[in-house]
Amino acid sequence: MKRRDMLKLAAVGAALLTTTALLTSGAYAQTKKWKIGFSQVTTIEPWRAQFNKDIIAEAAKHPEVELIITDGEDKTEKQVADVENLIRQEVDALLVSPKESAGLTGVVQQAIDAKIPVFVLDRNVDTKDYTQFVGGDNKLIGRAAGEYAVELLGGKGKAAGNVVEIWGGMGTQPAHDRHDGFHEFTDKESGIKYLLDQQSGDWKQDQAYNLMANALKTNEKIDLVYGHNDPMAYGAYLAAKDVGREKDIKFIGIDGLPNEGVQMVNKGELTATFTYVTPGAEGLRQAIKFLNGEKVEKTITLPTEKITKENAAKVLKDNGL
Amino acid sequence: MTALKLLSRTKLYWGLIAIFLIGVLGSPVSSKGNNIFLSYGNLLDVLRQVSTTGLIATGMTAVIITGGIDLSVGSLMAICSVVCAMLLTVPGVTPGVVLGVPTVALVALCLGFVVTRFIFLNLEKSRAGPDAAARDVRLDNIRGLVTPAIVGVVLCCLSLWYLLPQIEPKFGVLGVLLVAPCVGLLFGAINGFIIVAGRLQPFIVTLAMMVTALGIARLTAGQNNAVLPVYTGSNATADFELLRSLVFGVIPMPGLFFLGAILIYGAVLRFTPFGRYVYAIGGNEEAARLSGIAAGRVKIATYAVSGLLAGIAAVLYVAQYRQGKPDAGAGLELDAIAAVVIGGTSLMGGRGSLIGTFCGVLIFGLLSNILQLHNINSNLQLVLKGMIIIGTVLVQERNAGDLLAYLRLPGGQAARKETAASKRPSQETPSLNLGGNKK
Repeated sequence: MKRRDMLKLAAVGAALLTTTALLTSGAYAQTKKWKIGFSQVTTIEPWRAQFNKDIIAEAAKHPEVELIITDGEDKTEKQVADVENLIRQEVDALLVSPKESAGLTGVVQQAIDAKIPVFVLDRNVDTKDYTQFVGGDNKLIGRAAGEYAVELLGGKGKAAGNVVEIWGGMGTQPAHDRHDGFHEFTDKESGIKYLLDQQSGDWKQDQAYNLMANALKTNEKIDLVYGHNDPMAYGAYLAAKDVGREKDIKFIGIDGLPNEGVQMVNKGELTATFTYVTPGAEGLRQAIKFLNGEKVEKTITLPTEKITKENAAKVLKDNGL
Repeated sequence: MTALKLLSRTKLYWGLIAIFLIGVLGSPVSSKGNNIFLSYGNLLDVLRQVSTTGLIATGMTAVIITGGIDLSVGSLMAICSVVCAMLLTVPGVTPGVVLGVPTVALVALCLGFVVTRFIFLNLEKSRAGPDAAARDVRLDNIRGLVTPAIVGVVLCCLSLWYLLPQIEPKFGVLGVLLVAPCVGLLFGAINGFIIVAGRLQPFIVTLAMMVTALGIARLTAGQNNAVLPVYTGSNATADFELLRSLVFGVIPMPGLFFLGAILIYGAVLRFTPFGRYVYAIGGNEEAARLSGIAAGRVKIATYAVSGLLAGIAAVLYVAQYRQGKPDAGAGLELDAIAAVVIGGTSLMGGRGSLIGTFCGVLIFGLLSNILQLHNINSNLQLVLKGMIIIGTVLVQERNAGDLLAYLRLPGGQAARKETAASKRPSQETPSLNLGGNKK
């Protein structure tokens, strides 16, 4: 027994030493000029994955930058802890894409107080002391989608048809902005009727499928589906396809990720999608610019692009797909 | 030998120290040459980050010691966070007020009644002397019914007198610190009541409550307000900032609540009859009941306290993250259970301690912190955490040898014989154990 216990102790001791050695060897390998931390909300969502891909690709172009990416696992608590951690690591610049404005404001303020320049990406926080905000304008995209929807339904002044709008998460600002922008155009047309009353698919394809399946049962005529993102528009398309009505309906989505929405448009499943470019590449470029002593603007709004059957193939080619 | 035995009995503390040492020795060094892990700010971060889980785990420990489980704590925290944020930021009669204020009144009424009756009952018992059986002690109507009822009504009126004027402006810190825990307490008590009176498995009852409570939280928040932001000073009272600040610049307030809860509840479990009953029920519920313990009431109390602590955790959550929302505590129950089990509390009940839970919570928190400081891939972090839970529990339960023997690995057989021999006595808790050990 004694021997076994000694063995056990020795094993534990050895394990301790190795871990420490491993951890320490990693700790001193920092020779790069700038250490930039990026706190991402989650990585298991296509748009976020593209976001990370973009920022990593951009970082590869800058050998002087060491980029640390953390994953908030879609929880406010985890993301706040991540940012606190990056502050302790004394990063030279902090990029944050907050889960929600309110939850992250405190810790962003803490970073600002620690004299770390903060670049807020995609969703804003409720303080004005950050260095820069980079993001798309969902209202702008909603407007583009609304304008195109009116065109599809007969043109300005004479557009008519039944529209199904599938909301993203009800509590999120992007969903409200995408709704408001869209309605700025469609509300002017007296011929357009809305079939569902604020039904949320929570950004998810399966929930949108169920919503649409119900809508198809209760409505004989549906002319256009507006999904607040591509997966939801696609879910609606699948529901329509399963009852053989997909040819009568136009589907408009938002986000336009190369390997998602653009593919769907290219295959003719969605009629159009509007790109919501990730601020990954631009955000990192701006941060490096700032660290090199250049002036940066307070807000950068990323433009949107309409993708239809005509340009989908080209976009895919540009992205190497 | 005795030294080794001592080492083995205190292995949890050694584990904590080992993790701490790994953190210190492996810590990255800041540009100014400071050890980042050891910096006061970082350690405070850890304490603050674990305090919500810690509070939940504190309540969970007692529930698990009775042999139960509480899966609803995350959702209870969600309700309480929504109610708390709503009371703080929205003036007038809101769903939060409708849910919160009557709850406080009801809880005050019941507590007043129960506590007064309890006092009278014990006075009567001590007068009857130690020989009298518990069933023989009876109270007359005045002391058994009327006085407790009056006390309850008075307390109820007092709470209403305190809360009602706060509805029209917004609630203050003390107001929400009263309401949110009461809401948690009520829901926890309902859990306990259904488990005891309906004689159902705690797992299924609290699972149902988890879903129900999440629904209530969402209904309370309203569909368009999934998140209720709280900005102290602009839309809520500035005092609320106190709950996220450092007390005397030394210790964060949430950490203080966590430590306080551990100390108080730990003392209750260790030194009061109630605590002994909790262990007894977990050891053998039937035996405990037969030896005259009101097992049902004790169990209801543990679930109620679990809810109460979830309510307190919710208020701290709102303060820390400046928001209340229906997905506030999502997944928290599992983190709490993991911490409790790492701390050496047996899911079979009857064995465990709050000090262990405290260590378990800290081990978990320090581990996350270390992994994050080294920027280890977050998916890999999940894998590592899962493996560490299993590893720790194997060591805790002294079953590592059994596992080796099962796999016919060297060292296993000897260990198996030895654990078989040493296991029975070793399972005795250092705490007072009444009504039978687990067989």
